[in-house]
Amino acid sequence: MVSEESERLAAFRQEVRDWLRANLPEGWGTPEYQPPERLTEEAQALGEEWTKKLYDAGYTGFGYPKEYGGIVRPREEIAIIREEMMRCGTPAGPMSQGLLMVAPTILAHGQEWQKKRFIPKILNGEESWCQGFSEPDAGSDLANVRTTAVRDGDEWVVNGQKVWTSNWKFADYGLLVVKTDPDAPRHRNLSYFIFDCNAPGFTRRPLRQMTGEAEFGEMFFDNMRIPHENLVGEFNRGWYVALTSLAAERSGGAGMAFVGAGTAVGTRRTLWGVETIVELAKNTRRRGKVVWDDPVFRQRIAQFAIEAECLRYSAMRAAARRRKGAEAGNDMSVGKNFSAEMRQRRGDMVLEMLGAYSQMVRGSTLAVDDGTWVYQMLRSRGATIEMGTSEINRNIIAERILGLPR
Amino acid sequence: MEFSLNEEQEMLKTMARDFLENECPKTFVRQMMEDDTGHSPELWKKMAEVGWLGLILPEEYGGSGMNFRDLSILCEEMGRAMMPGPYLSTLLLAGLPILSAGTDEQKSEFLPRIANGDAVFTLAVTERDGDFWAEGVQMKATRAGDDYILDGTKYFVPDARAADYIIVAARTRRSENPEEGITLFLVNTAEWGVYTAPLTTMDETRKQYQMVLTRVAVPSRYIIGEVDKGWQVLQDMSLKMTAALCAEMVGGGEWVLETTVNYAKERVQFGVPIGSFQVIKHKCADMYSALEYARSMMEAAAEAIREDNPEAPVLVSMAKSLCADAYRLITDHAVQVHGGIGFTWDHDLHLYFKRARADDTAFGDSIYHRELIAQSLD
Repeated sequence: MVSEESERLAAFRQEVRDWLRANLPEGWGTPEYQPPERLTEEAQALGEEWTKKLYDAGYTGFGYPKEYGGIVRPREEIAIIREEMMRCGTPAGPMSQGLLMVAPTILAHGQEWQKKRFIPKILNGEESWCQGFSEPDAGSDLANVRTTAVRDGDEWVVNGQKVWTSNWKFADYGLLVVKTDPDAPRHRNLSYFIFDCNAPGFTRRPLRQMTGEAEFGEMFFDNMRIPHENLVGEFNRGWYVALTSLAAERSGGAGMAFVGAGTAVGTRRTLWGVETIVELAKNTRRRGKVVWDDPVFRQRIAQFAIEAECLRYSAMRAAARRRKGAEAGNDMSVGKNFSAEMRQRRGDMVLEMLGAYSQMVRGSTLAVDDGTWVYQMLRSRGATIEMGTSEINRNIIAERILGLPR
Repeated sequence: MEFSLNEEQEMLKTMARDFLENECPKTFVRQMMEDDTGHSPELWKKMAEVGWLGLILPEEYGGSGMNFRDLSILCEEMGRAMMPGPYLSTLLLAGLPILSAGTDEQKSEFLPRIANGDAVFTLAVTERDGDFWAEGVQMKATRAGDDYILDGTKYFVPDARAADYIIVAARTRRSENPEEGITLFLVNTAEWGVYTAPLTTMDETRKQYQMVLTRVAVPSRYIIGEVDKGWQVLQDMSLKMTAALCAEMVGGGEWVLETTVNYAKERVQFGVPIGSFQVIKHKCADMYSALEYARSMMEAAAEAIREDNPEAPVLVSMAKSLCADAYRLITDHAVQVHGGIGFTWDHDLHLYFKRARADDTAFGDSIYHRELIAQSLD
């Protein structure tokens, strides 16, 4: 029995490998291959095309019921697919909040027609999504939303501004948390909607970050109309729907690690780029001495490897808890904080290894690895702010897990 | 790797917690701190009755035949209860070398006595330099007819005064490679020439001793394993002992976290519970997170040992450094959150604070284990 099953899985692994070889972009994995520039239309098109191919082959779309376009497969096969994809480092999907937070939220709170209409096109990469939660005056205090929606027959008229929107540029649809009752108490005055990014009255523009790029954007609503049927969850209970989205986002934000056991694949050496950092340390000299021979850096790199490994086992533990019926929720704050702070430690550590060259950014011929490390160090500053600042997440751990008074 | 407990393991955990709450309250721990041996024969007898003393020994030698993960569950509860006494010394430090390298006669003679609580054992390796490593083993064992004569001093010997037998690592041959030429001798502590003196240590819950051997004759039938190959025998034991310490640290950390969170909920200053202040909340959140990650790594290491996974040594090193760092951070924060009361002798926090330090130095501190990880990445 066992050997029959393992033979079947070995054959399946070969099948996945062959498919990947046949379907990856021309030249993928060779030094000559030039991936499209981040955040460009080319990158978006490649992501959409790749996800479509994967979906048609049955290699993505897991975790959702068939009637909403989900692909159902045994756990062992899913693990093999993810391992093989990880092994050759496939292209990223389209820039979208769809898989990360929209599909889980619609699945949990959406109306039947919404599940049927939107989830399949998220899974196959056809439609991209963005999310409108944060506002200039509603950051960590997210419930302090000022954007309003006023009912007009079968429609809602939206006015206001959202900020820190990921995938602001290519989104076809968006999620929106708006104030629908000026007199109701906090947390009971918000509703949750799906909106069409092509609707009149909607405009968007880039927000440039300290990295120099505009990964995030701002969205403006000027009498934009949303059909009433786009309401997700109960009227005036949008806050509670948003909590689902935020927990889903945080779980994805824990570096894939918390999505489920078996997804955090990779060996001890390759997890979180440990191997690359060791190589860099071996090839970098400071005052004539190889960095990898420096006991202080050895300690720090080892510590980083330990943390990366530890995050993987914590993900497996979380998955084991969920199999036993525990809800995935507040413990996501633990993983999100840990991985965000790890990213910062990694960035700082590598830049300290590089010395004077840590100043050189992309565009300089002197930049190490085309400035990737500097970019990552800068980008990691946002990691402890987005998806709930580290402080908000510590509050969640203290109040909702440990039960300390608010 | 399996991260959730099966039904039997859940039962073991519940039973251990109940047993230790009854048999090992802090009043008992403090009584043992004052005791010269740190060992209670009454508790020992009860532990034999519930099958703990031979927990991972095979049933043919009177053991319970359970696996290493089961043991780690028990160690967690022992760490939580701050249990004193020679449990780890007897079952792991001495029991495992006898099990893995002893002759059939030795196993039949000694293992049942471990399991039924008839005799207490320990191990003496470390000498004046304070490190558990082959080069530190300088004590001489000289052949005289069918006996070996042991001469020298051991330091940091745990539970030496409670022990009836001590496995002593001594040098039978000088060689280039310090790991060659070490032999393990099972010494009866009642022999003439065995002298122990208690070491005054910070952690009083786990007794350590200096042990002087003056021309102690050991018959060669009491050599554990092969002559000159004793160091190799200690490797498997060392791995398991290190992992057991990780479990103990996680269990202790859990007690400290719970105690601290409860205190933060009850202690009122400025008219409100101090746990409503964000600075206190964030310290508690950091304690919780540190414990979560320590537990993940500890369980992974215990599972790797149970599975005989070749990655076990790496995972154990990762766990040891992570658990020791976490236990120190948790006890640091706990004392700070408690304020004045946490700095007193009467409060039990300092027992955990001190155990965290003692456990860090035992079987390689965090810095040592991180360097091993660096070597594994080479």
